[in-house]
Amino acid sequence: MLDKAIEALKTYDWGVDPAVLKPIDEAIVTTHGNAAGRNDLETRLIAALQSECPQAAKDAVCRSLRIIGTAASVPALSVLLADEKLSHMARYALQNIPGPEAGKALIEALTKVVGKHKAGIAASLGIRGEVAATASLQNTLADSDTATARAAAYALGGIGSPDALKALTAATARPETKDAIADSLLECAENLFAAGKKAEAKAAYAKCLSSNPSKAVKIAADHGTAACGG
Amino acid sequence: MPSTDKTHFSRRRFLRNTGAAATVLGFPTIIPSSALGNADVPAPSGRVVIGGIGIGNMGRGDQGAFLGNKDVQYVAVCDVRKRHREEAKEKVNARYKNNDCAAHVDFREMLARPDIDAVHIATPDHWHAVQIIEAFRAGKDVFCQKPETRTLREGALMVEAAKRYSRVFSGGSQRVLEDYRGIVERCWRGDHGPIKSINVEVWPPSQACNLPPEPVPDDIDWEMWLGPAPWAPYNAKRCDGNFSTGGGSWRSYIDYSGGGMTDWGAHHFGGATYAVDVRELQPTDIIMQTEGGKKFLTIQYPNGIQITHNKPGRGNMNVEGTPGEKKEPKQVPKYAGQGGISGDFIECVKTRAKPFRDIESAVNTMVVCHVATIAYALGRSLKWDAAKQSFTGDEEANRFLDTVRRAPWQI
Repeated sequence: MLDKAIEALKTYDWGVDPAVLKPIDEAIVTTHGNAAGRNDLETRLIAALQSECPQAAKDAVCRSLRIIGTAASVPALSVLLADEKLSHMARYALQNIPGPEAGKALIEALTKVVGKHKAGIAASLGIRGEVAATASLQNTLADSDTATARAAAYALGGIGSPDALKALTAATARPETKDAIADSLLECAENLFAAGKKAEAKAAYAKCLSSNPSKAVKIAADHGTAACGG
Repeated sequence: MPSTDKTHFSRRRFLRNTGAAATVLGFPTIIPSSALGNADVPAPSGRVVIGGIGIGNMGRGDQGAFLGNKDVQYVAVCDVRKRHREEAKEKVNARYKNNDCAAHVDFREMLARPDIDAVHIATPDHWHAVQIIEAFRAGKDVFCQKPETRTLREGALMVEAAKRYSRVFSGGSQRVLEDYRGIVERCWRGDHGPIKSINVEVWPPSQACNLPPEPVPDDIDWEMWLGPAPWAPYNAKRCDGNFSTGGGSWRSYIDYSGGGMTDWGAHHFGGATYAVDVRELQPTDIIMQTEGGKKFLTIQYPNGIQITHNKPGRGNMNVEGTPGEKKEPKQVPKYAGQGGISGDFIECVKTRAKPFRDIESAVNTMVVCHVATIAYALGRSLKWDAAKQSFTGDEEANRFLDTVRRAPWQI
């Protein structure tokens, strides 16, 4: 059954009944805890990803690698990060693969990929909490593409480290990125507050309040400042 | 998962397992505007200025409810389908006998309007978290149709954003209070004695979608309909808003919905958690069991109460109590204001009180739907750590905590 499903990937285009791939889903469940079985399944999925199969098939492979992918899948997925049609689905898997390899691949792609997918790569780095991406994301705050610059701001908030806070504090907020930077500053401030660092949290709130904030940000920063002791 | 020693959520993005959820910063979730010295919320005597995002199907009903509320001034509609947009706009203009209602394709235009206090959302589920969190960031209060979340992580971030911006949120499951009132009253009155468990029957989970391409009609902005979901070719069945969860509607397909498990689960699990009074909690154990060849789940709460899912022979909303033992009766909560769940929301926007299906009640309900779905998908029992918002000892299950959004959408 699994052999037939892997074979079906070669011609799995839009409109084909997804039931033909169900044995792959079943194999994901049945190989849990079986390293050899998992390795075999992953190897076959990587091969499909590197073949000339249709976009719908590669989408389906990325969905499976999201669940079972390991460092072994990273090279095949990372080359797709610059692919106009497959970048998102490559992230779909990479964002969830544990270990430094996937993070490194995303950081490298952030400096190479241009266009709308760069924003997605920044977002994935933030969700993974990739501390090593902080400098690259700081540079991306100045990206001429608004969506990418905003994504970098939110990603730094997601990382939430002291260096991320420094990057956000130092950022020159453009009108179109101001609220994203403020939201991430608020996030960093909340982290500091939760860690008992009220003075540092208060300073982050003060930074928000000093940059002509929106009413929403002002409410949040006032609230946070009050929690820190006024 | 990340290459750091942090959890997948990178910081303390979590709910806790008790009512302490409301005190991330040591303050209640909702604080009166007067305490903040700002005028960003309507005065108690004022009308709530509102716009609607996603106004076909359920959104149409919600719009009617809000238009009928004397405390509401409805000023804008937003939908990626021209027909829905135009119909909804005309409805507003007819109500007020003017041509003032604005119509938007992109919800961000509506959120940028400083005159709007609140929005109601009834887009497909894959849009909810993005639109809810963006609305909070823009300082808007939100009423959102159930199922409020598509993933576990979305719920945690929605709670966090609501607290950060001091926003009022109401989920849109009217059935929780209205359909199951009898069961809830019997439980809260103590008729069953101390409650042991309640059974919920709801099915199926959503499925993969690989429908063939069709020409994109002029009526729809397909890129905006897909939004954060993976790109896929247009097909009318992919985006149809009918209520089927077995195929031929967006509610059936995994990129847009959790299927019956979340669409009806939001109601049934909402009613169940209300009846057995665990709305403030999240479960700890999701136990896969088999009876008569049929798989079912026992969902264990930290206070010992259980919700079973599809347990053979029990029936939906069947309560197991402890007959003969006494349970102190409790007063059943009610909606504030007039006009059902939408009226409850408007009243709470004005008073800054917590609505009946507030953000935490909604998210805690949706957690049950999602952890159950993940257990079935993986075919095994799971342990849920509400404080960390992750599964314990199951790295693979943690890969289901969230989806990956298509750029530029993120939360």
